[in-house]
Amino acid sequence: MLVISNLSFKFRHRRLFDDLSLTAERGDLWHISGPNGVGKSTFLSVIAGLLNPTSGDIKLSSNGETIEDRRAWLEYLPAEANGLYLKMDAVQNLRFWSQLRGLKLDDEAIFGALAPWGLNHPLLRSDFPVEKYSTGMKRRLALARLSLSPVPGWILDEPLYGLDQQALAVFRERLGKHLSSGGFALLVSHDLEPFRNLITGSKEIVSRGSM
Amino acid sequence: MKATAFDQYVTLVRQGLRAEFVDKERLVSPVLFALTMLILFAFALGDLDQSLRIKVYLAETLLTALFALQLSFSRLFEPDRQDRVFDLLRTYPVSYSSLFLAKYTLVLILGSATLIPTMLFGAFLHQSANQSLFSWLVLGISILALAGLGALGVLLSVLTLKAQARQILYPILYFPLTTPVLLAAIQSARLCLEAGVTSPELKSWIGLLVGFDTIYITLGILLFTELMDES
Amino acid sequence: MFNSEDKREFLIGSVLQTFIIFHWCLAFFYAPVDIHQGPVYRIMFLHVPSAITAFASSLALCVFSVLSLRNRSERLMAWSKGTAEVGLLFTILTLATGSIWGRPTWGTWWTWDARLTTTFLLALLYAGYLLLYGSMAPGPGRTRVCAVLGILIFADVPIIYKSVTWWRTLHQPPSMIRQGGSTMDPEILWTLVAGIFVMSLYAAWLVRVRGRNILLADEIESASYASFGT
Repeated sequence: MLVISNLSFKFRHRRLFDDLSLTAERGDLWHISGPNGVGKSTFLSVIAGLLNPTSGDIKLSSNGETIEDRRAWLEYLPAEANGLYLKMDAVQNLRFWSQLRGLKLDDEAIFGALAPWGLNHPLLRSDFPVEKYSTGMKRRLALARLSLSPVPGWILDEPLYGLDQQALAVFRERLGKHLSSGGFALLVSHDLEPFRNLITGSKEIVSRGSM
Repeated sequence: MKATAFDQYVTLVRQGLRAEFVDKERLVSPVLFALTMLILFAFALGDLDQSLRIKVYLAETLLTALFALQLSFSRLFEPDRQDRVFDLLRTYPVSYSSLFLAKYTLVLILGSATLIPTMLFGAFLHQSANQSLFSWLVLGISILALAGLGALGVLLSVLTLKAQARQILYPILYFPLTTPVLLAAIQSARLCLEAGVTSPELKSWIGLLVGFDTIYITLGILLFTELMDES
Repeated sequence: MFNSEDKREFLIGSVLQTFIIFHWCLAFFYAPVDIHQGPVYRIMFLHVPSAITAFASSLALCVFSVLSLRNRSERLMAWSKGTAEVGLLFTILTLATGSIWGRPTWGTWWTWDARLTTTFLLALLYAGYLLLYGSMAPGPGRTRVCAVLGILIFADVPIIYKSVTWWRTLHQPPSMIRQGGSTMDPEILWTLVAGIFVMSLYAAWLVRVRGRNILLADEIESASYASFGT
């Protein structure tokens, strides 16, 4: 369970969200909405641990026990980047990130994770630098990383960026599975149509731009 | 669900080495730069007087190495800067000391790959029929210097990670901060070649070099952790 | 036109300027002529206080940096930057007056003496700090990065000084700067002490004004953001 209480973030001229509270339990999909530049992405980076909040608390607990390092339970997908070593191939990328999580995966497991995203072709998956992928393929690989990782919390910033209809269907199915198996997710997305049946709550960040 | 700090260290070192080998141009350019510099120095200086050889060899070779290492340190985080890998690393449960030590190990490995050929080639260019300039001790001293330079190198790479004028900034900060290590290295190497390994001053200069290394590694690891918390 | 805060700063500034003029009068008329060097030695009254202020700035920079790492305070960040600017100003002043003094007394504009080298490197480091500050986008990241560099600079200055001292003392006799102290006339000593006092006060006031300026510039920037409605 992720409990965010009275979270505020401001830095000099950037006064973003203020006093934001939210509780995500197993199976929850929270949609974070608001106009451009209001701080949706900043909110997600604060949850992911990239920025420290000005005030407020983020607590993660599992069965009543507080988790010390919340990064071990969260997986973050940034908006305009995928976190891929561009000169390396798909298998090397997936293996690196899963090893950091302490997973020891054999080739079969990695191929299995690539398969639903249409990236499991021998010419695509190894000895082929990721920088030659198209925008959508890179996003698919980032989503494969996400679904490979066994953490309960997903923090998704515009996950649909560059995806085609087929990949979108795969993602929808994965997200549904993640939620029904006890995971939760926070989502920022310009297109809500694919998630209509999955969203359990919505939070709007209001603009407080004036001085 | 969490890897041990040591496992993470190994993973990070391996990934770092892999990133060098998939981009060979990155790997060889510092050493090529150093060798070119040495050849140009040799052209410019021409035939040298016997008494000057040691001084010139050490000054130009160690300075060339300092420049070449600066090149390779400043690009240390280049593969991680792409596609926000570095930010994603910070959202993973990675221990910051593992990350520092992994990058430091990488610097030592890649730095030696630049430093050792440079020292050998420099000695080769300046030797004469009756005087060999190669010495294991001098090589050891240069590795000790690398240990200090590398710690500062890793720290400065993170410091300048998000700065726009990285290429200009890096040397401006690197050269003044590393002066002590360079001075100690040149002094001890000179004493070693001129006065011989038994010189009493040599011992104290090498001690000083080790002291600087310790200070820089400690400072590096402390400040690096502080930096990673929010960058 | 002027608010009360501006008036106060103006008053403090004028008082400090008067102090400086007073100190210059002391330096030119109160302190006696040096028998060995003649009147040229009087540049010392500008040189020594500048040098002390320049190095004291690195201590202040370190203190502000440590505090801004702890409190994430915008004010401390502004003060840190102000300190680096003032530090750069006084290191340049030190180098310039030292050079002018060195020419007639030592017969050279420059020598690789430990103090000179360290001051020169300190000037480079202050410049590097300001460049780093200027080339980063405002935000908590910049505050942290600059604070870490501030600490690193302060920690490195004594190491540089020590290493250059050892390096030079093994080569040739130590620093050519005449060791004063007991041989100094009391009039000269008092003028010098007054100079150090006035110069550090003046530097502290400059840091304060610069800190205020930087914060004001930020506020103006934030006002322009607000007018875009974000």
